[in-house]
Amino acid sequence: MNAAVNTVNLSSAPHVRDKWTTPFIMRMVALSLMPATIVGILVYGWNAFAIVALSVISAVAAEWVFCKICRKPSTIWDGSAVVTGLLLALSLGPQTPLYCPVIGSIFAIVVCKCCFGGLGKNFINPALAARCFLLISFANAMAIKPVIDAVATATPVGAMKAGETVNITKMFLGTADGVIGSSILALLVGGLLLWSLDIIHGEICFSVLIGFTLFLGIFGGKGFDVNYLLAHLCGGGVVMGAFFMATDYVTSPVSKLGQLIYGCLIGVLGGLFRLKGNTADSFSYAIIIGNVCTPLIDTYIVQKPFAYRKVGKTRKTSKQPFRIPKPVIALTLIAAIAGVALSGVFSMTKDKIDEQETLKKAASYTEVCPEAESFAIHEEANTKIEEKAGTDWHADYPSARINEVFECRDAAGGVVGYALSITSKGFGGDVTMAMGIRADGTISGIAFTELKETAGLGMKADEPEFKDQFPGKSVSIDLVKGAPQDDNDISAITGATVTSTAVYNAVNAGLNFYETVLKGGN
Amino acid sequence: MKNTFRGGVHPAGHKELSRESRLRLFDPKGEMVFPLSQHIGKPAKPVVQKNDEVKVGQLLAEADGFISAPIHSSCSGTVKAIEKRRVIGGALADCIVINNDGQFTPFADYSKRQDANKLSNQEIIKRVQKAGVVGLGGAGFPTCVKLQPKNPDAIEYVIANGAECEPYLTCNDQMMRIHSNEIVEGLELVLRIFPNAEGVICIEDNKPEAIEAMKRAASGKSRMSVKAMVTKYPQGGERSLIQAVAGVDFPTAQLPADVGCIVQNVGTLYAIQRAVLYGEPLFSQCFTLTGEAVANPGNYIVRVGTSFAELLEEAGGLKDGAEMKKALCGGPMMGIALGSLDIPIQKQNNGLTVLAEDPVEAAEALMTNCLRCGRCQTVCPLGLTPQLMCDAAIAGDLERFEKKLYGMDCIQCGSCTFACPAKRPLTPVFKQAKAEILENRKREGGGQK
Repeated sequence: MNAAVNTVNLSSAPHVRDKWTTPFIMRMVALSLMPATIVGILVYGWNAFAIVALSVISAVAAEWVFCKICRKPSTIWDGSAVVTGLLLALSLGPQTPLYCPVIGSIFAIVVCKCCFGGLGKNFINPALAARCFLLISFANAMAIKPVIDAVATATPVGAMKAGETVNITKMFLGTADGVIGSSILALLVGGLLLWSLDIIHGEICFSVLIGFTLFLGIFGGKGFDVNYLLAHLCGGGVVMGAFFMATDYVTSPVSKLGQLIYGCLIGVLGGLFRLKGNTADSFSYAIIIGNVCTPLIDTYIVQKPFAYRKVGKTRKTSKQPFRIPKPVIALTLIAAIAGVALSGVFSMTKDKIDEQETLKKAASYTEVCPEAESFAIHEEANTKIEEKAGTDWHADYPSARINEVFECRDAAGGVVGYALSITSKGFGGDVTMAMGIRADGTISGIAFTELKETAGLGMKADEPEFKDQFPGKSVSIDLVKGAPQDDNDISAITGATVTSTAVYNAVNAGLNFYETVLKGGN
Repeated sequence: MKNTFRGGVHPAGHKELSRESRLRLFDPKGEMVFPLSQHIGKPAKPVVQKNDEVKVGQLLAEADGFISAPIHSSCSGTVKAIEKRRVIGGALADCIVINNDGQFTPFADYSKRQDANKLSNQEIIKRVQKAGVVGLGGAGFPTCVKLQPKNPDAIEYVIANGAECEPYLTCNDQMMRIHSNEIVEGLELVLRIFPNAEGVICIEDNKPEAIEAMKRAASGKSRMSVKAMVTKYPQGGERSLIQAVAGVDFPTAQLPADVGCIVQNVGTLYAIQRAVLYGEPLFSQCFTLTGEAVANPGNYIVRVGTSFAELLEEAGGLKDGAEMKKALCGGPMMGIALGSLDIPIQKQNNGLTVLAEDPVEAAEALMTNCLRCGRCQTVCPLGLTPQLMCDAAIAGDLERFEKKLYGMDCIQCGSCTFACPAKRPLTPVFKQAKAEILENRKREGGGQK
C-alpha cells in the first residue's frame, strides 16, 4: 500500500471541476450561430456558403500556423477561431469576393488575437476588427451588392438613411439584401438560447438594444414610431452586434454595472452613428469603441462584495422570490416572436407582393403602350376573359391565357389601343407578359412581368434583340429559326425553343383576342 | 421561496456511496498520535510526560490562552514520546504519541447523565471549554470562544449547521438520523446562553431522513425550528447559512456574532451535549470513509489520533484493482490532499475521500487563458470578482487585491475554481495571495514595535 501512497497526486482544493470547458462554450456559441448561418446560405446561395467555409477554415489555419511559427502548443482545439471565423463570415455580404473572408480571418486571428497573447487577451473583438479592416481596405469589394431585390440600389439601412421605406418583415426573416447573417429571427433564436444558458450576459445585450432604441426614439425625429424603430433594430447588424459581438467576454466589462454602462454606450453610439454617420456599417465601429473603453470601465467600476453594498440590511427577507427560469423566458420570447412574425409575414407580405406586382404591371403597361396617358377597364372584354378563366384562350395556342385587358386612352380620352396581360408556359414556369396593341391592330410593344427562364438562353427573351421584333406586327405571327423571311416572322431565340414558343403562343393569343373581341367591339 | 444564498455551484454529490451506512465505532490497534494544534489558536501545552500511563478521556495537553483548546486521550496506554510528527498539510508538528494498549479503559464514567438544569451559563461554557470542544465542521475554532460573544443578549440566531454541502461526506447525515435528540439537547444548552436567540437547524434537502428525524426531535421545543435548505455548495458555509437564515452579509472583519448569529455544526452540538451532560471530553467524532477507490465506504465514529492508513486498511482497504490517485482529508471541494496516509486524524476532520481518478489532472490538460466569462463571479457566494482578483494576484498587485477587490473576504470555498470553464486554479492563487498579505501585515506590525 505504501507504493500506492507514493504515487498519490497532490493539489490544492477544490479537487473537482465542473463539466463546462472553454471548447464547450465555443461550441455553444457556434451552435447558436447556426440558425443564422443556415438561413443566410439558403437565402443567398452557394457563394454565402463558400464565404462561411473559407472564413472558418482560414481562421483555424491562421491560428495553427501562428502557433507553429511561435513554437507554442496549438490552441485551435479551444474552438475560438471557429467562432471568430463564423462571426466574420456572417458580417460579410453574400457577394463579397472570396479573398475578403480569407484576408479578414487571418487579420482577426493573427493581428487582433494571437499577437496580443491569444484567447482572452485581445482588446477588441477580432471578428469586428477584421470586418472594419476589410471595410476600410476593400471598400468596393465589401459594398453589399443586391442579390435578391435587383430593383433596389441599396441595402435596407442604406435605403433608410436615404429616407426610403423598407420591408421590415423581409429584414426580420433575412430575405432582404444584407450580410449573410442578417436574419433577425435566426439571430434572436441563437442569441436568446445563449442568454438562457447564461453564456452571454443579458445586461450587455439588452442594454445595447435598449440604449439604441431610446436614442433613436428621442433623437431620430420620428418619436417612438414602432415601424421606424423596428426597421432600425432589424438592420445594420444591431441584433448580431448586441447578442454576438458586444457580448464577447474578453472585450466587455466584468461588473454588472460596467456591463450596463458599456451596453448603453454602444447602443447610444450606434444610434448616433446611424443618424449622423455616412455609412451603413456604423454599428461595428460603435462596438469597437465600447471594446476599447472596457479596460477603463473595469479599472474604475469594480463590483463590491455583497457585504459592502449599500443595499440596506435585508434582514429576514433572505427567501429568494420565485423567478421564472431563463430558458422558459427565452423559449416563450422565441415562440412569441416567431408567431407574430409568421402571422405578420402572411398578412403583410401578401399585400406587399400584390402591391409590388401591381406596380410592376403598371410600369410594363406604360412601357408597351407609350401613347397612353391613362388606362381604363374594358368591361366587355373582361367578361369574355372571365368566361374563359382557367382555360387556354385558343386551342391553337396551348397554355396561353389572357389575364386582363385595359383600354389605353390619350389625354383627350380617346381610345388609342389596348394593354393585355397574358401568361403562357415557359421552360422555367409561367411566362407572363404585357402586350400593347394599337387601335389599328398592330403590336406597340411587349414586356415581361414574370420570366424565370434559363440564364443566357431563355432569359434572352427580355433582350431588345428579341423583344423589338414585335412592334408593328398584326393578325398573327410565325416563329422561324434563323432570319425572318416574311413580314409576320419572328426569329426564335437560339437554344430556347420552349421560351420562344411560349412567347409565340402568348402573342398570338393576344392578337387573336384583339381580332375576336376587341376589334369587333370597336 | 427557497432557503438559500446567492451564487453557489452544484458539484456531483456522490453521497450514495456511504449515505445508508450506520455510524460504527472504530477501535484502532496501532499507536495514536495527538498533534498539539488541532484547533485555531495557540497549540495546547502538554501535561503528560514520556512513559506516563493514560486512559480514555484523560487530559494530555491543556489550553494555552483564551483561543486554544485542551486535548484528551482517546485510548489507554503509555506515552511513547512527545515529538515532531507529520500531520495534515505535510508539515512536522509537535505531537503526543501514545502506545495504545487496545483496552480503551475510561478515565472516568461517561455514561452517567448529570442534571444540567441547575448549571449556570458560565458553568456550561466552562464544561465545553474543559472538554476541548472545537468546531467540527472543519475549521476547528474553539467552541467556548464562540459561546462567549461580547453581548450574548444580542444574538438572534443560533444556527445548527447540518447542511453537509461537501460532496461525498455523509457522517453528519447519519449523525442527525441517529442522534437527533442529543443534537437538539446540545442546541437547547446553547440557547440557554443566548436568551433572545432562535435555534434554526439547517439541513440540505437532499437528506430527507435527517430532516424528518430532526423535525421529530425538535417538535414541541420552544425557540427551535428545522429548515430545509436548497442543495447547493457551499450551503454549509458559515456566511452562506447566515445569508440564508438572517439575510445578512458581513465583511471579513466581522464575526457572525457581530451580526447576531452563532453557527454550530451538528457534530459540535452533539459534543457539547456529551460534554455538559456526561462530562465526556471530545476524543471522538463522526467520520466518513468514502471515495470511488474505497472497498467499503462507510460512516464511523473515529477516535482522535487514529491513523488514516489504519482506518482505511481495517475498513477493507482499496477496491480490487483500484489505484489511489488522490486521498483527501475531507471532501473534494475544501479537502486537503494527503501525500501520505500515515498521519493522525484530528478533531475537526470529518472524512477521508480516496479517489481513483484525479479530476484536477484531467482539468489541467484543458486549461486555457481566462475567457473573462464571469462564471466565477456568478457563483461566488460572497459576490467577489475572482477573475480580477486572480489577475491582480498574479500581477503581484496585492494592494488592488486587498483594497479594491476585497480579496481578503474570500472564504476559499472553491466555487469559482469549480465553475471555471478555462480550468484556472483560482482558489490556490487566492490562498497564496491571502497568506502573503497576512505575512506582510505581520511584518509591518513587527516593524512598528
